[in-house]
Amino acid sequence: MGNLLEHMGIERDRLHFSWISSAEATKFVDVVKEISEKVRALGPNKKLVKDYN
Amino acid sequence: MADNDTKIVSFLCNWCSYGAADLAGVSRMEYPADIRVIRIPCTGRMSPKFILSAFREGADAVWVSG
Amino acid sequence: MDTCIKKIRELSAELLEKGEVQKVIGFAQGTIPMATSPIAIESKQDTEKLVFNSTCGLNLANYASKQKGKVAIIAKGCDSRNIVTHIVENQIQRDQIYIIGVPCTGMVDKSKIATLFEDEITGFTEDGNTLRVTSSSREEILKKQDYLRENCLYCTHKNPILYDVLATELVEEQMLEKPFPDVDRIEALDTDAKWQHFENLTKNCIRCYACRNACPLCYCPTCFVDEAGPQWVGKGQNKTDVNTFHYLRAFHCAGRCTDCGACVEACPMGINVRDFTRKLNKDALELFGWEAGLDITKRPPLDAYSPEDPDDFIK
Ligand code: SF4
Ligand code: SF4
Repeated sequence: MGNLLEHMGIERDRLHFSWISSAEATKFVDVVKEISEKVRALGPNKKLVKDYN
Repeated sequence: MADNDTKIVSFLCNWCSYGAADLAGVSRMEYPADIRVIRIPCTGRMSPKFILSAFREGADAVWVSG
Repeated sequence: MDTCIKKIRELSAELLEKGEVQKVIGFAQGTIPMATSPIAIESKQDTEKLVFNSTCGLNLANYASKQKGKVAIIAKGCDSRNIVTHIVENQIQRDQIYIIGVPCTGMVDKSKIATLFEDEITGFTEDGNTLRVTSSSREEILKKQDYLRENCLYCTHKNPILYDVLATELVEEQMLEKPFPDVDRIEALDTDAKWQHFENLTKNCIRCYACRNACPLCYCPTCFVDEAGPQWVGKGQNKTDVNTFHYLRAFHCAGRCTDCGACVEACPMGINVRDFTRKLNKDALELFGWEAGLDITKRPPLDAYSPEDPDDFIK
């Protein structure tokens, strides 16, 4: 899915997958930080958003 | 962009990442408030449709975690 | 081609006469030149209606499932791969279908030929590699090789994979150094240019779903586009809805598409929807070493787990 979206021009960093066990609260926090940094760097997503007006 | 503008729709597995999020919460760890958590029973419940739906409704990113 | 269609008719007549099959699914001449349409034949006399030429671009595997009793089907390389996919996905049992394999020399790109003429095409005949196309004002002699559909140019499985009988001799398969030049071209673009490419591609889509209906892979009783609760995709011409339809349609074909080109053949707006599925085909080959419909004993990669599956996208 990531590959397809990237192929169509959605930035790779807008889709993340991870594997965290329920005991890994620290990994959870690290991953959230990492993802949010990357996404903030990209700025808001305008593609593929449905305009209801 | 203001900090709280970023929306990362997060699909977390009830047994794994959701548990981790819970633990992070009770341990009072701090993390960015950009994520919007959706609890799913298992990552096997995940579907490409969910990802596209999230983007359609204006998500800046999607995160799937088992 | 003449000997080929004779053989197809003979075989079909014989099968019907002996009662081995209830129906033969094949192609019949359409009402205008360069058009053929699928047909199901039930009696020996009707076998005269069967044709096979370079305009039989649709995929007959689409009609193989949901039939009562045993049917015979005319299958090019790609049709046979889609029949294999049908068997693997339990849409049809192997013993319910009798496959008349036709090694294929490629189908022609009708719209490309149509652009050569200002007026309507009134006649089309072919002889080996030569096409003779006439309109009311003039006649063109064309080399078939120059007017093949894109997917046929890149096709590496012209011979049927699975068949009970062959209508002609097997043809030589081509080896391609770069099997996906079209995908490579898009991959080389930057993010915004890619986005623009697909925006332009789907701009004219009228949401007629001909591409979905022509595709043998699309057999769900209720397609996601028709589901109302939840509604995954709106019904109108909204840009995002059109794109969502195309993304999901393509994704449902991941690891299953045989690049038969039926979707493009069916599109009234001339949209090359293969631009979506080709990328997935390339990934399937590169990540899983998989090409759809080559083996009736193997499950498709997105349907089975293997410890060797690539997982570097997971943190
Ligand atoms: S997506 Fe198009 S090329 Fe692929 S199997 Fe379906 S009709 Fe054929
Ligand atoms: S056949 Fe063409 S116009 Fe119709 S839905 Fe498919 S891409 Fe759109």
